[in-house]
Amino acid sequence: MPETFQDFDAVVVGAGPAGSTAALVLARAGRRVALLERGPYPGSKNMYGGVVYGRVLDGLLPAWWDEVPAQRWVTRRSTMVLTPTQALSVDFRTQAWGSPPYNGCTTLRPDFDRWLAGKAEEAGAVLITSTTATGLLRQGTRTVGVRTDRPQGDLRAPVVVACDGVNSFLAKEAGLYHHPEPEHFTLGVKEVLGLPRHEVEKRFALQGDEGMDIEILGGTGPVPGGGFLYTNLDSIAVGVVLHLPALAASRRRPEDLIADLKAHPAIAPLVAGGDLKEFSAHLIPEGGYEAMPGVVADGLLVAGDAAGLCLAAGLWLEGVNFAIASGQAAAEAAIEALRSGDSSAAGLAGYRRRLEASFVLQDHKKLRRAPGLVLSERVQHQYPKALCDVVEALFTVDNPAPKRGALRAARAVGKNDGVRLRDLARDLYTMARTFG
Amino acid sequence: MCQKWVDHRPEVDPLTGAVTTDPRTSAASAADHAALEWGLRMVEGWGGELLVATAGPAAAEVVLREALAAGAHHAVRIDLEATATSEEVAAGLAERLAGADVVLCGDWSLDRGSGSVPAFLAAQLAAASGLGCTVLALDPDRPGEVRAERRLDGGRRERLVLESPAVVSVEGGGTRLRRASLAGVLQAREAAVEVASAPPLTPSRPPLRIGPYRPRPRSRPAPSAELTARERILVLTGTPADRPPPQLLVLEPAAAADRILDQLRTWGYLL
Amino acid sequence: MSDPERIPDIDFEDRMASVEFRVAATAHITVDGDACRGCTTKACVTACPARLFVPTSDGGILFNYEQCFECGTCYLVCNRAGAITWAYPEGGHGVAFRRS
Repeated sequence: MPETFQDFDAVVVGAGPAGSTAALVLARAGRRVALLERGPYPGSKNMYGGVVYGRVLDGLLPAWWDEVPAQRWVTRRSTMVLTPTQALSVDFRTQAWGSPPYNGCTTLRPDFDRWLAGKAEEAGAVLITSTTATGLLRQGTRTVGVRTDRPQGDLRAPVVVACDGVNSFLAKEAGLYHHPEPEHFTLGVKEVLGLPRHEVEKRFALQGDEGMDIEILGGTGPVPGGGFLYTNLDSIAVGVVLHLPALAASRRRPEDLIADLKAHPAIAPLVAGGDLKEFSAHLIPEGGYEAMPGVVADGLLVAGDAAGLCLAAGLWLEGVNFAIASGQAAAEAAIEALRSGDSSAAGLAGYRRRLEASFVLQDHKKLRRAPGLVLSERVQHQYPKALCDVVEALFTVDNPAPKRGALRAARAVGKNDGVRLRDLARDLYTMARTFG
Repeated sequence: MCQKWVDHRPEVDPLTGAVTTDPRTSAASAADHAALEWGLRMVEGWGGELLVATAGPAAAEVVLREALAAGAHHAVRIDLEATATSEEVAAGLAERLAGADVVLCGDWSLDRGSGSVPAFLAAQLAAASGLGCTVLALDPDRPGEVRAERRLDGGRRERLVLESPAVVSVEGGGTRLRRASLAGVLQAREAAVEVASAPPLTPSRPPLRIGPYRPRPRSRPAPSAELTARERILVLTGTPADRPPPQLLVLEPAAAADRILDQLRTWGYLL
Repeated sequence: MSDPERIPDIDFEDRMASVEFRVAATAHITVDGDACRGCTTKACVTACPARLFVPTSDGGILFNYEQCFECGTCYLVCNRAGAITWAYPEGGHGVAFRRS
């Protein structure tokens, strides 16, 4: 193949948060960058739990909160532990999250992603929608561009940034995924239910543009995973995240598991009467640090979900912020490589270094044990049951019997629910090391 | 060749009938795409240039850029509100399309379109019209002559031969728009789109009130408890046994139309 | 908490009708029927959130591609390497979320 002209300095595949950020940073550095999107508009293929934590945008788009298409600003966060007939919530509210610089907002991805891609376009990136990257253009092992599904659709560039999502066919083609195993993925399914605005505010005790975010443990029946409920302006998003191999083995239908969650006595009144606006499903890379693919190859960088950068670690459920940060790091490394004229893996190695130095890999490293812990049988079923039983024993007034006290109640429940002290101690130690 | 920017998935509020549209789901219809494909085949076979026109707000230019990417040569947008009537749209388009050998349109648009714009256009341009065609045959040696086929009742087909100038509208099924090349898409982003204003137009008749169907409430006394359930339902749903028997009237067309209008007024369907 | 007798709160057809799919002319999923006939688990049938895979009486799998969420569950849960091949649909086609 002869050396042909280079259309762009960089091709970014996928106009999600990672890709649009990468394109934005490259374009601001004066680089000619193409931003490919296979959907008819950015965000059309994307779905997530529901909250974007925007602190990571501060450096890129100052006062982003004035223009981000936010639904609500999360000021109330609740973690809920469920058994079939019990519910225990830790509910937190702070007004500090309800004013600039804010903490997180609920937003719809078709709005948010389009907004962010618009920022990249304003900076000079060339957004090309309705165009699927079908493969890498390679010279030997070196990536020199991408093929698209359009006639005469090859795009050449010294650097390709693959932000093509959780299934990343480009990273797989480059041999960066060693074991894309089902146990490293969860399936997220969700319903967006329309409710009048005042009804959302009444049910979740919110005012104005305040929002609520509920994470749920133990609401997914036989399948390890989690549930969530988020408030939008005049709708709510309710869904479940399901560990893929267990879902397959359970023979349960994903939408039935949502229905079960919605029928739980603690959830049912919150979602009652909601009118289904959209049902959606998407995979989540949940393998954490241990399952991460390679992120750098000759002429190629991988960012966002494609690089497995998603934190689903019980207390924290984040992805968009990691995508944005990794997109930014990829762009900075690409700019460096373009300046030095070396876009080989060595020239692009600054990407991995940047990730290591930032919260992206530090959080992932710190929480490397979280996926196994959170999806374990004990955390999914045994502890929720034991925790709820202890609290129930504590608050059940059974006069004339005298109060037992928390420790005695816990001991009795532990015995009853089959919690082994040795397991508990080990899990508590892991939790302390992971979340502490 | 004309394209219309229309929402493929508008949301209709079942209570108020209010329609919400979204630019993200708005695009040209399959019929408009088929028309564009035939337009491209015409200029490939006959030579000449393909002008793509739309009437609508600035956001409607996406359909023009899509057509430019696929191979159209020029683009013009007639600046009109999305709510403009077919007559206004046709008048606006006709001014810019006068002199074209063949004008191609989709058969009707998705937003409850009636397919009347092509007909108005043919009238304005004093052109031959072939509306609702399924397939066209283009002979490279006879530029400007369109042989078209369209459906008739009972599974029959009709073949038309249209001489230039002609307005042809085509169905969406069967003809798929080619996929634009990457270079085409990149060029279309930068291409110039001419914007023309529509001529002022006095509507030929007053606009009709458009709204959701609202049957009038009628108060009815509760039916006697002695009736059977079926009879009570008949009473409540206004299916009385003593309705006037159907009549067969044989009248001249004009008198028949008057009679129908009278009857509709009596029933309350017309004001 | 799961009651198999409970009538679903949302009918599956209505559920899928809430999503826009811009159907491409060609399928982006292919299934190797011979591989499926030897498969005893057929995990794709229950795990696919869009119910695209239907077992046939001769032990094979009938599939639809039109209402695909493009999530990738099917090929990941498939225990016969290569029985389900899957690529993204043609650009501009497939699922188009608006509120997700």
